[in-house]
Amino acid sequence: MLEVEGLAKRYGEVLALKDLTVSVEEGECLVLLGRNGAGKTTALRCMAGVLLPTAGTVKVDGIDAADDPAAVRARVGLMPEVPGLYERMSARAYLDHFGAIYDVEPPVRRRRIEELLEVFELTDAGDRWLGTFSKGMRQKVALIRATLHRPRLILADEPTSALDPDSARRAWIYLKDLQRDGCALVICTHSMEEAEHLAGDIGILSAGRALAVGNMVELRRRSGLKMRQEVRDLPTLQDIYLAIVDNHRDLAEVRTA
Amino acid sequence: MTWPKLERRKAALVARRDLRDAVSELRLIVAMVALTLAIPIASASGVRALAAFGGGTAVVNRLSLVGAFFVVFIPASFSLVLALESFVGERERTTLEVLLSTPLREAEIYAGKVAAVLTVSLSLCYGGLIVYCLIAFPGLGYFPLGILLALALSTICQVAAMVAGAVIISLNARTMRAANVMASFIILPMSVALQAEAALILLGRADFLWAFALLMAVVAVVLLRMGLSGFSREALLARDVGLRQPLRRATRAVRSSLKMRPGIFRLIWMRRTPMLLAAAGLPLGVLAGYLAGASNAIPPAVIRPALASLVKSSGDGGPIYEVATIFSHNVLAFLLVAALAVTTAGLSGFLLTFAPGFLLGFAAALSSWTLALTGIVPNGLVEIPAAIIAGGLAIHIGATAIHMDARGGWADRVLAATADYVRALRWLVPALAVASVLEVFIG
Repeated sequence: MLEVEGLAKRYGEVLALKDLTVSVEEGECLVLLGRNGAGKTTALRCMAGVLLPTAGTVKVDGIDAADDPAAVRARVGLMPEVPGLYERMSARAYLDHFGAIYDVEPPVRRRRIEELLEVFELTDAGDRWLGTFSKGMRQKVALIRATLHRPRLILADEPTSALDPDSARRAWIYLKDLQRDGCALVICTHSMEEAEHLAGDIGILSAGRALAVGNMVELRRRSGLKMRQEVRDLPTLQDIYLAIVDNHRDLAEVRTA
Repeated sequence: MTWPKLERRKAALVARRDLRDAVSELRLIVAMVALTLAIPIASASGVRALAAFGGGTAVVNRLSLVGAFFVVFIPASFSLVLALESFVGERERTTLEVLLSTPLREAEIYAGKVAAVLTVSLSLCYGGLIVYCLIAFPGLGYFPLGILLALALSTICQVAAMVAGAVIISLNARTMRAANVMASFIILPMSVALQAEAALILLGRADFLWAFALLMAVVAVVLLRMGLSGFSREALLARDVGLRQPLRRATRAVRSSLKMRPGIFRLIWMRRTPMLLAAAGLPLGVLAGYLAGASNAIPPAVIRPALASLVKSSGDGGPIYEVATIFSHNVLAFLLVAALAVTTAGLSGFLLTFAPGFLLGFAAALSSWTLALTGIVPNGLVEIPAAIIAGGLAIHIGATAIHMDARGGWADRVLAATADYVRALRWLVPALAVASVLEVFIG
């Protein structure tokens, strides 16, 4: 579904991303971890066909993002870190607007909007202006917007960072359902719990480079961590992440080449 | 020039949303409508009062037209606020990023947003104008339909130019505060345009308003095209990160531009098209000047001061002083042409050859070709090629300035074009020195 080969992105003199190679099949989920400024958002934007790669290729459903970025964007649902909602629009009108942009037929999008508002417990608030919504409610609307058109690939930047635990679990169940329906997911997050819950593969980014990509078993091996002594248990993703990042402390933060 | 791909239905979706957003802010709409109605009513009442209390017909008629222009300008200036809100405001609130992540093409987003702003602004402009006309003109016995139509056209162009200018600002401003400061670069030239229109009416040359409207149309098309070329996902999303240490970057760009530019002969070959345009300026100027002189289209009294000042610029303090005066006059002209190239879109470069050509042709029409040509021989043999090179390079600077690239780099390209000019001056300045010596000692 998603094939990324040697992806690099440069903004002026800043090399935000270098030589990223990952692939995600239908029904799989890749979670990207990394510190702030590691290049996760840039990677998502390139995968979504919003930004063009400086080097390397991004293919979604076999379509090269450099050749036909609009076709890539039509197949992708991107949920940026900031919801970016129109304050003076009701949730229903807002979702209807984006459904129309994605060419979802009016009856289909009306039905689907109601379904998803119900999933995220927003049915009653659906006619209120989005400006009156709480941070968590806005994030839910952004998630609905990104998935309304049933994209083949969902790219989400910290999708549950503003949600309460119950709503976050609801969102994870929803994303897992989409995954089961064959949708591929790429999630950027700082929540290890979220990563463990959703991830098939995990990519750890630092200073624009991929330090490690693999499933939990492979990453555990890469980290060199043994059983946790104090609890005689396998190391958690948090332990693995910190160990891998610590092993690459020498990577310069300033990425000017 | 290629037309961008655009699905009208998608652009209409964007426009509808923006329109809805604009009219949903009740306080803003009430303020805009109130101003749009209050100003025409006050202006029209003033004109009627002037007529009633014995203002001369000519004065009242002219003032009634000036009033119409001012009445339209206020709501037209709202377009800038609306456009900045639509582009920079959305960018600041990150809603633009969401729009950019959809399958919409840049052209569809751009066209939709421009259409929404134009609809609101022009409704207010024409609403105000209709109110003004209904109150001001009945009873005056004067209704200048042609001029009002020219005003209507010029208003569309002014609003479009302001909207396009706002888009260009949005590419360079990340916050509304910065955008509002930069908006002065649009509102100031527009108010000058308004003053020029008012001056034409007060001077009784309202017939020139159509030409003025046409000029505004050209400016609007150029700016809209620039806005469209620059409105790209890369420019709006990627450049945020690249704008670190702007002073260091600018210094480095200037230094590398000066170092890396080609030599004079290669430069002439590379810039042959603008240089051909500059070269064409001379015969076109001669022709236009001759026709203007022969047909008496421009009274000699208007041109004579220019001719006299040119003659006078040679000075009368001895040959060395004359050489220095002519030389400094020409160098100043070359520097001014380069300095004005960006703001005049290269027109200054064309004028560098056209204006002397015009004066030459005009002088020939008033006297004879032999007499006129003695003024440019033999110094012209050096001066004219130098002016063609300088004019061509200035046209290139202007062309670079009005070309926006989706990948950004506008400043770097303008700097490179300017660096070409600066480097060429190493050859052109000595050529001007030789020309002034020739003019004084051999001419």
